[in-house]
Formats: sequence, C-alpha cells, structure tokens
Amino acid sequence: MAFTAVSLKGARRIDYSGGADGFERFDSFGDRVVNLLRTSTGSKVLVVIDGGFGFANAAPHVVRDHLNLTGGNPLVGPNDSCGERFPSVNDIYVTDLVRSLPTGVAAGLKPGVVPSDKELEFIREMGADFCCYNLVPTMIVAAHAGWRVLGIVVPEGERLDASVLAVLNDAGGK
Amino acid sequence: MVETLVKSANQAVEFLKQVSRPVPDAAIVLGSGVKVLEDLPGEQSFSYEQIFGISPTIVGHAGSLTFGRVDGKLVAVLRGRFHLYEGHDWEVVTLPARVLVEWGVRHLYLTNAAGGLNKDYRVGDLMLLDGYRDHLSPHWKQTGLLPAVMAPAHPCANELSEHVWRVGQQLSGSDPEFRPLQRGVYAALLGPSYETLAEIEMLRRLQADAVGMSTVPELKTAAGSGTLAAAISVITNVWSDDAPIDGHEEVLKAAKAASERLDRLFRAAIAASA
Repeated sequence: MAFTAVSLKGARRIDYSGGADGFERFDSFGDRVVNLLRTSTGSKVLVVIDGGFGFANAAPHVVRDHLNLTGGNPLVGPNDSCGERFPSVNDIYVTDLVRSLPTGVAAGLKPGVVPSDKELEFIREMGADFCCYNLVPTMIVAAHAGWRVLGIVVPEGERLDASVLAVLNDAGGK
Repeated sequence: MVETLVKSANQAVEFLKQVSRPVPDAAIVLGSGVKVLEDLPGEQSFSYEQIFGISPTIVGHAGSLTFGRVDGKLVAVLRGRFHLYEGHDWEVVTLPARVLVEWGVRHLYLTNAAGGLNKDYRVGDLMLLDGYRDHLSPHWKQTGLLPAVMAPAHPCANELSEHVWRVGQQLSGSDPEFRPLQRGVYAALLGPSYETLAEIEMLRRLQADAVGMSTVPELKTAAGSGTLAAAISVITNVWSDDAPIDGHEEVLKAAKAASERLDRLFRAAIAASA
C-alpha cells in the first residue's frame, strides 16, 4: 500500500509513498495515517493505493464507496477534536481525477480474512466489486479529519499503469 | 479502555435497593434525544455516576435514573446509555441492563434514534423491533464482520412487544393524529461513523428496516432472563440517494418531535400492563 496527499488547487503536496511498507497490523499503520492527517493543514485530498482481490472485473479500480466488513472502526474511543463524533463518510470519494479507470465499491475485510468462493459471491451480492484490507479504515479516518479520498485498488500481482501515476503526479504538482 | 471506576452489577443493584425498596414495575432506557415520561409524580433522580460509577459521554444522553409513578405503577426511567463506539467494553455497555435484570425488573422498554432504511418509513415513525441484526458485538473485531452479515436476523418479538403493539393499535385507532406503529428489523452497527450509501443498500438487501448503534446489547442481555424487553426505534431520518445526510443535531431534533407520541404509547402500555 502506498499513499500520498496531494492538493488539486495549487496548495502544497505531501509525499508519504512507501511509508507503510511492511506493516502487520492496521493499528500501527493507522497511527501513521492519523498523524499525517491531523498534522497537515494545507491538503485535503488523500490518495490511497491498495492491493485488492476478489475482483468481479480484474482491473485497477477507483473506489466510489465502501462496505466496512472489518468488524471494527478506527474512530472507536474518545473523539479526536479534528472531526465530529458522528462523521458522515459519504461524498468523500474523488472519482473524477483518474478517468481512465473503472469505479467500484470496495469491501473492506479484516486483514487476514480470506473469503471462500461462497462468501465472495455473497459479498458481491451485497454490492461490492472487490475486496481489500486497509483502505476502508484509512478512508474513515480521512473522512473524520475532513479530507476527501482518491482510493485506487489494484489486483494483487498487478502494477498500476504508469499513466495513472503520471496523472496523480501532475495533479499534485499543480 | 481502563474502566477501573465502574461498579459491578451487584454493587449497582445494592445501591438501587437502598434508594428504592420496591422493584420498579417497568424500566425504560432512553436513547439519543428521546424525551418521554418527564415530570412524573413522586420523582426521585440519581446520576449514572452514583449508580454505575460512570457517565455517558454523548450529547443527548443525560446519564440519570429517575423513579416515578405512571398510573400508580413505579417506573425507572434511564436517560442515556453507554456505547461501544465510545470505547467502552461489552461489560460496561450492558451494565444498566444487567442491573435491571438482576434487580428483577419484569418489563424493560428500550428506545433508540435510528435511520430509516425501509423506504415506506417517514421521519418521526416509531418502529417496534421484531428482530435485530448484530453487527456491533466485539467478537466481530476478531473474526471480521462477514459471519454477522451472512447470518439471518435474530427474532426478538415477545409477550411485551405484542402488548406494546396492541396498545399502539388502540391509540392509532382512536386518534388519527397518532401514527400507526411500524414493525421491523433493526440493524445495530458499531459506529461512530454513519453508514455509507453502499452499506445502506447492503442493509436493505438484508431486509433491515432501520439502522443505529445501540439497543442490541440490552436485548441480548435480557434474552432468556426473567426480564421481558421490547424495543422501539424513533426514525429520525430516512436514507435516500437524493436526500442530504443529517448530522447528530438533526437526529436530536427529529427524536424530540416523535417523543410526544412515544410518551403516550409508554404511559398507555405501562398503565395497561398486568
């Protein structure tokens, strides 16, 4: 997983790519994201690139919504004053920046849960187009902090096309 | 979360026995912004801090237990509850319900503010729970939520909820201003973030009628005990693809508007109970 914060209207850009490599648990990874979100005041779009599986259509997708099936929520506990106690996590997805990719609904699973074929079929019946482990909690934290999110989920073993990365780079450099 | 100051259920029961020798005929737990059974004859109030050693942290949850009389019957009105999303563990969240069960309260009425998933519902409707979906229990954090989502809803209708239903029918039959009760399945999610539109669609496919972040811990606690529990959701918004999503302030406002009907329902149900 890699993530970077970019501004789309000429504000500053924060690179954080690769900082989460090798994490084992979301808790430790989440701290890094939370710190990034809470200490930054200039940028409002978080770009999250995550690996995924169980695709109905095996291609990189831009996330347009999510199902939180992790069984947890990173906002449980005393509320951090950077956001509301009961944040809305709708309308946080940036879907028009990368037009070359299809959009889809992400099912966020608990890390390590590997759904059976029957479970995968059920997940799709519930409206998800693919599964991933870490993107959904990250999105919830970002929404709580008032950020919008561009989420891209790439099938495991595939690489994101360089043209997509170029679009992101151009947007961040404006 | 460290909960070292929280009293045990036994300690809380002992406290309540000292301040109210008779066991109340009924107890009512009020959720976000729900205001009913106020200014009862013979009122006597105690804070949750006094009884349980801890107070709710959420706006709209006063954190008090008031004894009073309804049609001569002793009732205990619990204003506010503890939630898992506050960081409390299951023991704390279920503490008030465990105390009421252990104390021997026969009838427990639960309320909550809920989002309407059923497209036939209107803001301000009262929904009697026939069943619930448990998407919030702590063990889902260990397994992930998939088993919960794939499981059927738990039925929770009982003698008390049927009594409430009959009283509601009588009220709506005699007063056109009293909206008929709805009956449906309540989906309890962990929160505190509100549901996404995709999650709302998923819950609709699972045939849930309303969604909130509470009540199921109390229903599970009372199940199989000598305490009959009936739960009512106050529908404070109805999810729609087109409508803006209200915040907590709007939830409190809508809950207040429906409270008058809920107040009449509870007073009639308690008065008519055996």
